Amino acid sequence: MDTRIGIDIGGTFTDLVYLAPDGALRREKVLSTPDDYARGIAGALGAAIARGDLEVGAISQLMHGTTVATNAILEGKGARVALVTTEGFRDVLEIRRLRMPVLYDIRWRRPPPLVPRRLRFEVAGRIDHMGAEERPLDEEGARAVLAQALGTGVEAIAICLINAYANGAHERRLREILRGLDPAIPVTLSSELLPEIKEYERTSTTVVNAYVLPVVRTYLGRLEGELRARRIARPLAIMQSSGGAMSAAAAAEKPIHIIESGPAAGVVGAAEVARRLGDLSVLGFDMGGTTAKAALVEGGRFHRVGSLEVGGGINVSGRLLSGGGYHVRAPAIDIAEVGAGGGSLVRIDAGGGLRVGPESAGAAPGPACYARGGTVPTVTDANVVLGFVNPEALAGGSFPIRRDLAAAAIEAHVARPLGLTLEEAAWGIHRVADAAMARAVRAVSTERGRDPRDFALMAFGGNGPVHAATIARLLEIRRILVPPVPGVFSALGMLFPDVEHHYVRTFKRPLAGLDAAALEEAFAALEREGAQALAADGFVPAARRLERAIDLRYAGANSELTVAWPGATGDLAGALRAAFAALHEGQYGYASAEEGVETMNLRVVARGIPDRPRVPARIALPGEAGPARRARRVHFGPGHGTMEVPVCTRMELGAEWRAGPLLVEEFDSTTVVPPGGRARRIAWDTIDVEVA
Amino acid sequence: MTGEATNPAPGVEATRRAALAGARDPFALELVKNALATLADEMALTVSRTARSFVVKEALDFSTALFLADGEMIAQGTCLPFHLGAMPFAVRSVLRQFGGTIAPGDLFITNDPWDGSTHLPDIVLVKPVFAGERLVAFTAALAHMTDIGGRIPGGNASDSTEIYQEGLRIPPSRIWRRGEPDENLFRLIERNVRVPDKVLGDIRSLVAACVVGERELERLVARHGVEGFEAQCRDLLDYTERFTRAELAKLPRGSWSFVDHLDGDGIDPAPIRFEARVTIGDGELEIDFTGSAPQVRGAIHCVYPFTLSTALACVRSMVDLSIPNNAGYFRPIRVIAPEGSVVNPRPPAAVAARGITGIRIADTVFGALAQAVPGLIPACGSNLPDVGVSFGVTDRETGRSHVYLEFLLASWGGGPDRDGMDACTGTLVNYSNTPAEMVEADVQIAVERYALVPDSGGPGRFRGGLAIERHLRFRVDGATLQIRSDRRDHPPWGLDGGGPGMGSDVVIRRADGRIERKVAKFLTTVDRGDVFQVRLAGGGGHGDPMRRDPVAVREDVLDGKMTTGHARAAYGVVLVGPGLDIDEAATRLARESAAASRISA
Repeated sequence: MDTRIGIDIGGTFTDLVYLAPDGALRREKVLSTPDDYARGIAGALGAAIARGDLEVGAISQLMHGTTVATNAILEGKGARVALVTTEGFRDVLEIRRLRMPVLYDIRWRRPPPLVPRRLRFEVAGRIDHMGAEERPLDEEGARAVLAQALGTGVEAIAICLINAYANGAHERRLREILRGLDPAIPVTLSSELLPEIKEYERTSTTVVNAYVLPVVRTYLGRLEGELRARRIARPLAIMQSSGGAMSAAAAAEKPIHIIESGPAAGVVGAAEVARRLGDLSVLGFDMGGTTAKAALVEGGRFHRVGSLEVGGGINVSGRLLSGGGYHVRAPAIDIAEVGAGGGSLVRIDAGGGLRVGPESAGAAPGPACYARGGTVPTVTDANVVLGFVNPEALAGGSFPIRRDLAAAAIEAHVARPLGLTLEEAAWGIHRVADAAMARAVRAVSTERGRDPRDFALMAFGGNGPVHAATIARLLEIRRILVPPVPGVFSALGMLFPDVEHHYVRTFKRPLAGLDAAALEEAFAALEREGAQALAADGFVPAARRLERAIDLRYAGANSELTVAWPGATGDLAGALRAAFAALHEGQYGYASAEEGVETMNLRVVARGIPDRPRVPARIALPGEAGPARRARRVHFGPGHGTMEVPVCTRMELGAEWRAGPLLVEEFDSTTVVPPGGRARRIAWDTIDVEVA
Repeated sequence: MTGEATNPAPGVEATRRAALAGARDPFALELVKNALATLADEMALTVSRTARSFVVKEALDFSTALFLADGEMIAQGTCLPFHLGAMPFAVRSVLRQFGGTIAPGDLFITNDPWDGSTHLPDIVLVKPVFAGERLVAFTAALAHMTDIGGRIPGGNASDSTEIYQEGLRIPPSRIWRRGEPDENLFRLIERNVRVPDKVLGDIRSLVAACVVGERELERLVARHGVEGFEAQCRDLLDYTERFTRAELAKLPRGSWSFVDHLDGDGIDPAPIRFEARVTIGDGELEIDFTGSAPQVRGAIHCVYPFTLSTALACVRSMVDLSIPNNAGYFRPIRVIAPEGSVVNPRPPAAVAARGITGIRIADTVFGALAQAVPGLIPACGSNLPDVGVSFGVTDRETGRSHVYLEFLLASWGGGPDRDGMDACTGTLVNYSNTPAEMVEADVQIAVERYALVPDSGGPGRFRGGLAIERHLRFRVDGATLQIRSDRRDHPPWGLDGGGPGMGSDVVIRRADGRIERKVAKFLTTVDRGDVFQVRLAGGGGHGDPMRRDPVAVREDVLDGKMTTGHARAAYGVVLVGPGLDIDEAATRLARESAAASRISA
């Protein structure tokens, strides 16, 4: 056997998915152990082995999504870092880009810099924007400054000099000097981590890497130790924000790549299922307890952005208003997030409007229906009252639900103040939550020039399949897909990606008169790095794929477009210019024949191709006991009123369409098929829903 | 605008609103609110993604908005608060001039400060939205262009004396007729600006935003029907008004006034006076700028829409942040600006540098509000772009002009319970800085220094944020440098016993070593090797500095944000030894003697 295991850690639960080559799939939810997540993971695996559900020898790979890097930043528990920078630029990290993430808010507080001013040191010497040395590095001053930094007891060093993207010689020399003083301290060089123009973004990224590096290294070391102690010696790989996988060793070197591990895995899963269903274009919709996320998948492929912010909070217009968190320039799947989920609190504002979130009831006290002391209604309470969510128990009967408490909370806080019936109020809450979450879906579709009507909505997360039908209606989407194990779907998604390494380097030159040899040499250098990394991962040359892309812009414009490498061609500049013009036309509606085009950044993705397919052709879900009650009363709004609706399991659905209204209830979620809609089970045990 | 200009109130609307009262559905309201806000943001994202110039992309100096057919604003994109409430004037100008002849596929443009723009570099586009043949709405987008012609590159000169010197002035004009662009108009613009690629690129991006807005709005109207859509929008405006009134009713009632100054009108360095009287009633608020200076010679005038929007944006910080941006918010707020003054000039006054006046108007309004709500408002900051740098050079061989603009800002004033943030934009602009590496790679300028200035924050129990200094070394000969700085003679004020921040300073260090100290606003020629050194002002302090926690003072010293000398002189905190320990006894003594000398004074 050859079992691969996906492990997704959340604040409350750790999800595990076991996948065998024949497609047999099992899932497990265990409580997380936030004091040391490694213990919880190893414990769960150990228990599975002890039960006889898992053979040590059968494990071929472990794929892990972890929030340990993010948490270190959010909780301020990263390493004590010293930053070394160019004379005159000590405060770049603190000045940032000046921008606030919110308008009008005079109470907003900026997060403190990860390196306080006393640990930021300047050295004289300057490289210019073309990489030429303008003033030599002051080595004596540098030695003094580094000795002083080490004397403060720092645990890691970040080095980021002005214009180091063009030439890292001064940074490398600083490292040599540092090594003479301390051979072991972790050091991150901006010119190696991210040789890309813009000093704040590069400094911040370099600092974040240095800040979380010791924490991630320790955690992964401990996890591997725990696994070895249970005689699990198979390779541990980590999910990247970009949707690729990387070895634990590589993650410990460049932890900036694993910040959005978990959310990325869900999208990777959605893209894989979309490909399996025939290269579909879908809008991934992941609704959990406190937030809802959306991502665009076109023809089975997702999109990436170049940077993310850690700890910026949730902001619908976050794409315009940045600055709330710590900037990390590293590729990440383009995911939009809004602060609305099952646990979102409902209230009435001073103008008499009904509001949902972003405040959440969290795990404690949780929704009123959990009977853990919550009295303010949540979205889940509305769904329980409406009958969408089982009003007696969740998780196969193991988690009791109190409908009466949900009803009382909605009655007191919404229905009575607005003079509505209980059902009207619950239906209203459900719709308002839909409206908030639809913003996330629009953010990755209409805001990107896509029409949501051209997509299917692929819903997952514990609450995604509950809201999918009404959100689809709001966006005029006709088709909904609910993939297998929707409630632990991110853990499944981890089992799909290739190993990837991303490289970037600024190479800013006019396209006219382009020195093709210099460009080739710059690309080749990035490719050498990629090939080395893949070799370290154990990929033979034939299994290494290197993909080039290049960022181009009109000279002096403020944003670049990434163009795929045209390949070997006689007129490289001409081919690039044509490709850029076509892309610009598509994105902005025009292309300019007169304006000069310039190259900005060179990009290489190094991909490791596995020797056999990681994803089985089909999957086999374990059988699940049917629900205790085969029908319940569900309220579908003013048009349909309250109806008696049949309840079935996923595996009871067949290839034939079954007319709604219908509830498909399983261990980790409920799929709502509204009146007028219909559902069937298609390839990969996916539920296919059509809504009118 | 005649006599006292006030926030125009829609007359017919009051009647229609009354008819619709009671038809409110809180869920439908939330849905339409969400839909319109999302749409306005989508337009804004379109601009931000497709615009070409720095001012638009990095300074977010643009706005988008949606209107009903009668010109009532129903949503505004989250961009520049300084534009809040200014855009309805452009739509009203279009309605006044073209009402009755507006057809599907039309598009209108203007940059006339007395017709809906606020200075010439701001170009506004207005696009009608139709349901069949019926006009149901407008979408509009505005952005600051990199150049608009005129005597000084960049269109921000503060020393012009008439609008005719400031560049191309476009009255409300039909730039598309039934989907057909008027090429004459485009060519006229192209010939009148220094960087036509960028300007036309930015205009195209505004067009794209209006078109996106139109398409999505048509869809929304189709879903709800024209009547249903309008009714829901009216409900939304009423809800917003109610929400705003409820929030304003929480503020103390009374009347407070405040006076602040600009360092000169752009020509004459004599101070320019600003006065604001804030009067808070039951759920309403009035801001009266009577007492502000009459019209001046230079280009710092602020047309009424800009004065209004600045005042509206200030009040926005006093109320719940989730109040939607629409005309319902404007209803309970009245803004009075005497005609013929710096805050409401008559044509042909020069208005290019009105930004700095808007900043001072905001400071003055906050100064008055701070007396009304002392527990909320911070001391004056330097967190709005007080300093504008315009750099222009013409390549002698190609004849092509290069223009580079940057607006600089620094820090917040101390608040009632916190220090002013060091280096952060204020609430009324959301400017970003330009990366030094981008400046060096794109322009003939190397940034030599960009750093906080120790000891520059106004002393206070909660100190003001530190000043920032920036040094630009020029790498080309014969370039024009125009500087519009401020807060040198009237540094950011403190509150409740806190001291002012350090004033600003501008110096040119010539390549041969000569140091030229400059006045706040000047125009000069720079050559290779010359360095322009600007120090922005620091934020004002809040509360008695002698009551500042000595531990916080020591932390600042350890961080190099304060010298030991300043700690002692301004805060009475004595730090001793290599560990910079607090000498408790000496500190007590220093603070007691400071208190004593204050009493005797």
